[in-house]
Amino acid sequence: MTQTEHLIKQLPTELGGLDAGPIARVEHVLEPWEKRCHALADVLDFHKIINTEEKRRGVEALGAEAVGSLSYYERWIVAFANILFQKAILTPDELARKMDEVSARYQSEIIACER
Amino acid sequence: MTEHAHDHTPAAELSAVPGYYEIMETAVRELLTEKRLFGPGEIRRQIEVLDSRTPALGAKVVARAWVDPAFRARLLANGRRACEEFGITFYDDTDLIVLENTDKVHNLIVCTLCSCYPRPVLGLPPDWYKLKPYRARAVKDPRTLLAEFGTVIPDDVEIRVSDSTAMVRYLVLPQRPAGTDAFTEEQLAALVTRDAMIGVVKAEMPEAKEALQ
Amino acid sequence: MESIDANIDARTGVVAADGELPLFKAGDEVSVSVRYPIGHFRVPNYVRGKRGIVEAVIVPPAINNEEEGYGRNAGNKRHYYRVAIPLTELWQGYAGSANDSLRIEIFESWLEGRRRND
Repeated sequence: MTQTEHLIKQLPTELGGLDAGPIARVEHVLEPWEKRCHALADVLDFHKIINTEEKRRGVEALGAEAVGSLSYYERWIVAFANILFQKAILTPDELARKMDEVSARYQSEIIACER
Repeated sequence: MTEHAHDHTPAAELSAVPGYYEIMETAVRELLTEKRLFGPGEIRRQIEVLDSRTPALGAKVVARAWVDPAFRARLLANGRRACEEFGITFYDDTDLIVLENTDKVHNLIVCTLCSCYPRPVLGLPPDWYKLKPYRARAVKDPRTLLAEFGTVIPDDVEIRVSDSTAMVRYLVLPQRPAGTDAFTEEQLAALVTRDAMIGVVKAEMPEAKEALQ
Repeated sequence: MESIDANIDARTGVVAADGELPLFKAGDEVSVSVRYPIGHFRVPNYVRGKRGIVEAVIVPPAINNEEEGYGRNAGNKRHYYRVAIPLTELWQGYAGSANDSLRIEIFESWLEGRRRND
């Protein structure tokens, strides 16, 4: 008998019946990138590149610490990256390089604007 | 590899200082667009779809059900088809079951596994619907939870909690407030809030709402 | 897989394919299976082993969402059922009203009980 089965038998996203505190009536207007991320999820599902259930499973697979620490759409975009790698649509190297390029592009935009 | 500058996200669309995840989202989107997995305008188009879905749509459907018994019957028999009569399309291919509140039954919707919500007819859910306290307690402790929203349900009224786990989504059809016989459909729709269609509050007359504040 | 006999329509002799006809109908007493899939599931732990009544058959048959989560976009379709379970059945010492209940959609492979033609 192991001490750790419960970590595998329960998904980190599964919350029904757990102990929890009072409801805080938080809401926020989505940031533009969050809305783009939601639209991305829908478009990926329309094309069945990543269907909605795959997205859910991808979020679950992030594990308890990431699920507990990342915000809603942060979880989605990391899940998409992982699934795209698994499907050989993107490679980790490709995405890492593109992220550097995007980051550099907007650094230079900021510098250009400040001049 | 050549860069397709026309695939680059215009600077105006990015946050002043894009964070790590925004950079990730931008990079994924640009790569998939470059590889032609979807067309360049599809994300923008879907944002327009999302922006067009708000609780006002659900409120129109509820108000019509309040005034038109035949529509109400169609709505309860097949929620999606009845919403489609209003031009509300179900782009996510879900079905809709409309849950009628009565003197005997008060309905509440939740998704304990993730954040399933009737987005085509209500728009995007509020944060609290997606966070732990609501999702944990709605199926175990609905009465105390509703009381936190100011909603007290007598013990002889059943609280019926629907947990979305598959392709059916739910919309609560609140009871029509008393004293609204003379209201137009538009005036009735103004009484129907998003939270009433989730089931955490009832639809109320404006004076009743003010009295609570 | 169900026997052919269970799938023959008495009026016409038509034989339904496996999975075409629902195994349960509204009013049937069912219980939710107890098992522990690794990786992805859509039947929460809190309903496993619990007894309820089928409120409705969801039509048409659809993909098993546990398989869908791993990329199945077609095939292997069976029915989902909207099942009613009292909250007193789910939670020991439930403090609310004895009338309070849950509705949840469950895929056919997760339900046990007397089936059509048993």
